[in-house]
Amino acid sequence: MACRAALLFVTFALGGALTGCATYSDSFGTIERNLSTRQYDAALQDIEKQADFRTGRVLYLLDKGMVLRMKRDFAGSNQALEAAKSEMERLYAASVSENALSFIVNDATVSYAGDDYEQVLVHLYMALNYLELGQSGDARVEALQVDIKLREIGEKIPESKFTEDALSRYLTGLIYEELGEWSDAMIAYRKAYEAYNKYQVNYGLAMPDMLKHDLLRLAQRQGLKDEASRYRKEFGIEPQQEDGHISGQEGELVFILNNGLAPIKREKAIGMWVPPPVAAVSTSRTSGSRPHTQEKPAMPVLVNIALPYYESRPNNVMSARVSVSGKQASTRMMEDIDAIARASLDSRMTAITARSIARAVAKGAIQKSVDKAGNNRDSDPAAALLGSLIVRVAAAATERADTRSWLTLPANVQLARLSLPPGSYDLTVDLLGADEHVISTQVFPQVLIRKARKTYLTQHWVPVNPTTRGRK
Amino acid sequence: MNWTFHNKSLPALLALMLIATGCSTSVTRMDAGEVKDLSGAWNDTDSQQVSEEMIRDVLDRPWFGEFTREKSRQPAVIVGEVNNLSHEHINVNTFVADMERALINSGKVQFVASSTERQEIRGERKDQDLHASEATRKQMGQEKGADFMLKGTINTIIDASGKTQLRFYQVDLTLISLADNRKVWVGQKKIKKLVERSNLKF
Repeated sequence: MACRAALLFVTFALGGALTGCATYSDSFGTIERNLSTRQYDAALQDIEKQADFRTGRVLYLLDKGMVLRMKRDFAGSNQALEAAKSEMERLYAASVSENALSFIVNDATVSYAGDDYEQVLVHLYMALNYLELGQSGDARVEALQVDIKLREIGEKIPESKFTEDALSRYLTGLIYEELGEWSDAMIAYRKAYEAYNKYQVNYGLAMPDMLKHDLLRLAQRQGLKDEASRYRKEFGIEPQQEDGHISGQEGELVFILNNGLAPIKREKAIGMWVPPPVAAVSTSRTSGSRPHTQEKPAMPVLVNIALPYYESRPNNVMSARVSVSGKQASTRMMEDIDAIARASLDSRMTAITARSIARAVAKGAIQKSVDKAGNNRDSDPAAALLGSLIVRVAAAATERADTRSWLTLPANVQLARLSLPPGSYDLTVDLLGADEHVISTQVFPQVLIRKARKTYLTQHWVPVNPTTRGRK
Repeated sequence: MNWTFHNKSLPALLALMLIATGCSTSVTRMDAGEVKDLSGAWNDTDSQQVSEEMIRDVLDRPWFGEFTREKSRQPAVIVGEVNNLSHEHINVNTFVADMERALINSGKVQFVASSTERQEIRGERKDQDLHASEATRKQMGQEKGADFMLKGTINTIIDASGKTQLRFYQVDLTLISLADNRKVWVGQKKIKKLVERSNLKF
């Protein structure tokens, strides 16, 4: 039985060797370079090569959707992201065979269904796509799906840090407000308020001033006097400071900066020779060891544990300044995806480490049984040694950390709002570095602002310095 | 070496992998009326059920008799917007089209082209003005005004716990008189589904 497991294991190890030993994140370098030089079609071609990669189908679709929206093909992006959503839904049921395989090969053999925050952010980006297409009704659908998803996550892991997504809640509020559904908007802003309070604790991200004014304005509009005065006291907003924006005659520009790229998972490998595990000895004894076989001293087992860790990608852009016909607005950080991703991995690290150790023990058991088979009286000692060696190499080669994550996400999302009289505007966006010096400037011509409506505009900044490199 | 003996299992393993990955697309034709639920999301069956229910209801109600008695002609109806307030991207056009077809074919109601369709037809009429012969040219300003507008909403309530989800859909359609904003008919169809998701698969 143990030998059959060893055979299966070697088969998969060879399969792994044929497809190359690079982890998922190592293969992302060329795509990133193309993104930073805005060669989206070239990046899409590279992404397309991952289409047949079965366990990474969700990531392929997510990356494709994200690059298509950088290219401003919002409808195409929604198609890809919708496909990613249904694939995630399909993977809700855990595969028994894949999980069994992951126990002897590595975590990357399990189909990637997306981290919790990734599953929420799909909806956010689909909502933004619909908003940029001017389909606020469809953006509303995504907002409702975010609510369902967050409820599901909250129920599944109540102690998780990520049970609320502040930016999604805030955007939901903006969508409802534009559609004139005031009470729903109020509820969404309240949830954003609670979420930012949690963000402050978990990720050190303070509540944006925009939300404070929105809460106050809407509480007053809905006649919630107590709540309004509570907000006024808590946020220290004087009555004359209250912004009277959106007078009903003006339109509004909502500019969203997707800043940089989300952190990338790397692997750290620890390889060591350890004494054979006790479990292996006991199982081989039960499978009928012959009393006359001469027991050689057990060979040590090469244990290779590979663990993932996050590496932030350097970015020199701190914020953006939107200028249009003499008016200016600066962006404010609304979501720190870098911090969310790190916290998410931290919370799962104990489980990942435990699985890796269990796997090392299992691989050790396989090595042990092959050694034992080789020690049998009628076997050729050279072949036995070769067999032992192959199994050891296979064990070391297959132990790779699962470094999969949605790499085309931004490191953080920033937002600026600017109320403007209806009309067509040429918009200038300056990307600012640490000391407010301009790093890059982009002009968006003829942005249409409509009366009492919001116009959404997003830009994704990918820094030029290639930060992804192969590492072994 | 001992484990060469086990090589017998290799062809079986490969065969199993081939079966598991599947080698060809299979297509089965189905009757359009057949009920087949896959994900639990809004599908063609829901759309058909809603349109059937609405059609049955709308022609039986007193507004129709009252209108024909008063005006001694058939009412003209226009389809307005059916707002999707649900949590799914629902294509409302299918059941609106179903309703339109059934109502027109009943011979009791006339339908006027919707506002987007009208734009296209007006463009064509303008073109006729320049290029069509005198005998076949259609005059502008001869359009038939609608008497009623059909509007509606689709709402959902979702209750979920673990792998079980209860989905409640409610479709409301309203027929509003364009002359005086009176709501002459309100149709409602409710659909409730229990969706159980599986935790494990092979």
